[in-house]
Amino acid sequence: MTELVLDVRDLVVRRDDLVAVRGVSLQVRAGQRVGVVGESGAGKSLTALAIMGLLQPGWRAEGQVLHDGVDLTKISDKAFSSRRGRTLSMVFQDPLSALNPTQRIGAQITGVLRRHTRVSRDEARRQALDLLVQMRLPRPEQMLRAYPHELSGGQRQRVMIAIALACYPQLIIADEPTTALDVTVQKQVLRLLDGAVKERGCALLMITHDLPVVAAMCDYVLVMYGGRVVEEGPVATVFRTPRHPYTKGLLESQPTLDNIGLDGTGRLPSIRGSVPPLHAMPSGCAFRTRCDRADGRCETVPVLEGTESRAACWHPVSVATPAGAR
Amino acid sequence: MTTPIIEARGVGQTYKLPRTKLIGRRERLAALTDVDFHAMPGEAVGLVGESGSGKSTLTRILVGQERPTSGVMAFQGSNVWELDRAAHREFRRSVQVVLQNPRSSLDPRMRIGSSLVQPLRALRVETDPHARIREVLDQVGLGPDVLTKYPHEFSGGQLQRIAIARALMPHPKVVIADEPVSALDVSIQAQVLNLLKDLVTELGLTLVLIAHDLSVVAYTTSRVAVMSGGRIVETGRPAELFRNPTAPATQALVDSVLTVEDGLTGKALT
Amino acid sequence: MSDTTMAPGALPADGVPRRRRRWNASLLVGMVMTGAFLAIALLSLVWTPADPNQVAPRDRLLPAGSAGHLLGTDALGRDVASALMAGAWTSIVVAAGAALIALVLGTISGLAATSNRQYVNETVMRGADILLSMPGVVFALVLAATIGAGVGATIFALSVFFTPSFTRVVRAAALRVLEEDFVTAAALYGRRRLFILARHVVPNIFSVMIVQFTLYFAVGILTEAGLSYLGVGVTRPEVSWGILLKEAQETVGVASPLAIWPGLAIVFAVLGLNILGDGLRDVLDPRLRRRKS
Repeated sequence: MTELVLDVRDLVVRRDDLVAVRGVSLQVRAGQRVGVVGESGAGKSLTALAIMGLLQPGWRAEGQVLHDGVDLTKISDKAFSSRRGRTLSMVFQDPLSALNPTQRIGAQITGVLRRHTRVSRDEARRQALDLLVQMRLPRPEQMLRAYPHELSGGQRQRVMIAIALACYPQLIIADEPTTALDVTVQKQVLRLLDGAVKERGCALLMITHDLPVVAAMCDYVLVMYGGRVVEEGPVATVFRTPRHPYTKGLLESQPTLDNIGLDGTGRLPSIRGSVPPLHAMPSGCAFRTRCDRADGRCETVPVLEGTESRAACWHPVSVATPAGAR
Repeated sequence: MTTPIIEARGVGQTYKLPRTKLIGRRERLAALTDVDFHAMPGEAVGLVGESGSGKSTLTRILVGQERPTSGVMAFQGSNVWELDRAAHREFRRSVQVVLQNPRSSLDPRMRIGSSLVQPLRALRVETDPHARIREVLDQVGLGPDVLTKYPHEFSGGQLQRIAIARALMPHPKVVIADEPVSALDVSIQAQVLNLLKDLVTELGLTLVLIAHDLSVVAYTTSRVAVMSGGRIVETGRPAELFRNPTAPATQALVDSVLTVEDGLTGKALT
Repeated sequence: MSDTTMAPGALPADGVPRRRRRWNASLLVGMVMTGAFLAIALLSLVWTPADPNQVAPRDRLLPAGSAGHLLGTDALGRDVASALMAGAWTSIVVAAGAALIALVLGTISGLAATSNRQYVNETVMRGADILLSMPGVVFALVLAATIGAGVGATIFALSVFFTPSFTRVVRAAALRVLEEDFVTAAALYGRRRLFILARHVVPNIFSVMIVQFTLYFAVGILTEAGLSYLGVGVTRPEVSWGILLKEAQETVGVASPLAIWPGLAIVFAVLGLNILGDGLRDVLDPRLRRRKS
């Protein structure tokens, strides 16, 4: 077993009596790519923010977030910022608000390099240029002198990835990195992220609502609903033979090209109802109000069970019937 | 051959850019060039393109929000911008819109019931508002308990249903849905798309679905126009476009579709 | 006392509703202070311990606590407590009156300045800029010189001075609302702009308007006191805190507490209104709070 770069144990995120994340445990090993999927209200974003120490005021994280020998929930903001960009770095959904609008791209990249590594000004500049080339940004020399607003959304996100990669972190946390981008550049950005992560051998924790993105990028997946992990396992196992009815429903409701009949003839299966608001989350299995299999037993919280993949469900989908014909 | 219910014929749109020089003409930006687009009664048509392809501009022209600088925007054969007052109101009533962000498309300070009757009042539709509200809520699958609530009490999917209900209120013939599911959760997207499809078949509505996601459009409509650089570069049945995309823009959109299966077989990022 | 509710408007990207407090300490303290101030002012209309203009040469400069004169008397033997009470009412009439006029004018002009017609927009905003660049006190001095000092002139001067700030605030808030899809939707089902502004925009910016009103109410009290102190605001027989300050200055060597009472009253009223404004802002419009902090 390779070493753990992130070990989250029983993470609870709450504000007063409002509990958004209800005991999430997840591990990321060196070089591993883990995806966390879920819809809005699932708690995935708060999980990510809690790991990164970026919770909004009022929110509190309980449990342990172990990384590089320290518990990130316990260390000071100062100690945390000395790690951000060095041993773990982040890529956000909206690159425009994550980049400093008043600083040139080059300065932002070299700034990270010079803060965390002992390199000369010239060396930092050379590395920054290399990163931009690696991210396939056009005219990298000029790009170094550009300001964030002069770039397109896809270019900004590539700059963010370049900054995240700059110091060879052990772990990159990417929160919906392609959601805000135009469809035609999404794949391109994913490809670059994929290549860069592969080349540097760093681990990836990907937070997204997009199942295909997880399928393309990750080798292990956790499906979240109502603040809990409802199913987890190797991506291929979970996506080919989902055991939780929610995972199955999510997979089936993806509009793809071969399962629905084109030209408006087919019909998409969908999950009924909608995610309940946080303060009205059902007790027990949170999915039971939308689940066809639910009965009285589901009023108690199920635990994650299974060998190859684990599902938290009292009435799991039988493994023999794969979801859809995908 | 019947007349299209809405049609853009040779439509062009240019915008004046802000002055850069004190003296001299203002620069112009061509957002649309010679666009032909139409929808037949009862047809579901899709409009796809990247951001900046001109589909938003065309949408604004189709709903009568902007007057094109050249060409004709016609409703049932007559130019929308030359209609008399009564005919123009008939156009406004017949063509209704569902917008992208359900959170923003309902007034947060207005109860749902009040929001729903607004189109009837504004368009002076002679009908019993209470009966119409019941009917429409039934069509979108909501109960009468929503009427006294405010928008913040609902989830995005429910709000989009309410927005669709509001669009249906004045008995429209055409519903123009601008990215109606892109702000919704995956499990809700299917619900809303299914609802739109049902409305087309059950009410004989014409649907124009604008989206950036080819698979969403392919699922809902029977004919798709692909836009790029302010022009319509390709039109056809979704299945055709998927199998044999001819225009580079269509090819790019087809390539950008990411599926779980491609991801699992390692083909997604190649 | 702490009831919680979901904020209207958009759910944040994480899908977790931001809850907001319906009550907070500022709101409570501000309401109590402002309430006391209003109550005393209203009481002065029906009852004061003595006539604030009643001169009593034998009772000049009595200390606080003297029989019949809770806060003593001034250089002409007039009852200070009564003058303070009457001054509270003057402050409300002048400051709230001016703020109210500015609210109405500022809302109308601010909404007009959201027009798509560039010249309307430009005219209103440049007009507001010109008014904002004029020093209010100088304006009031000129006004007092031309139409004479008094309550009416002071209200007029203050409202002219306040309106451009309301115009700007209302315009900025209205522009935000006008970008929302429900406005587009309303226009597409045939609502005219005036209806949209009245029925969709105003209810959505009402909280901003209320907060702005409260804060300018406080500014009005300060400015009125300043103007009256300079002798270009309210004049006797009307009583105002500014007048009391001015009169106290003449006896400051002999009876310093005389200047303290109106000073305290001003501090109390202005502080109360400012705290109330902050409290209202937190409750009504959490977005403003986040921007501020």
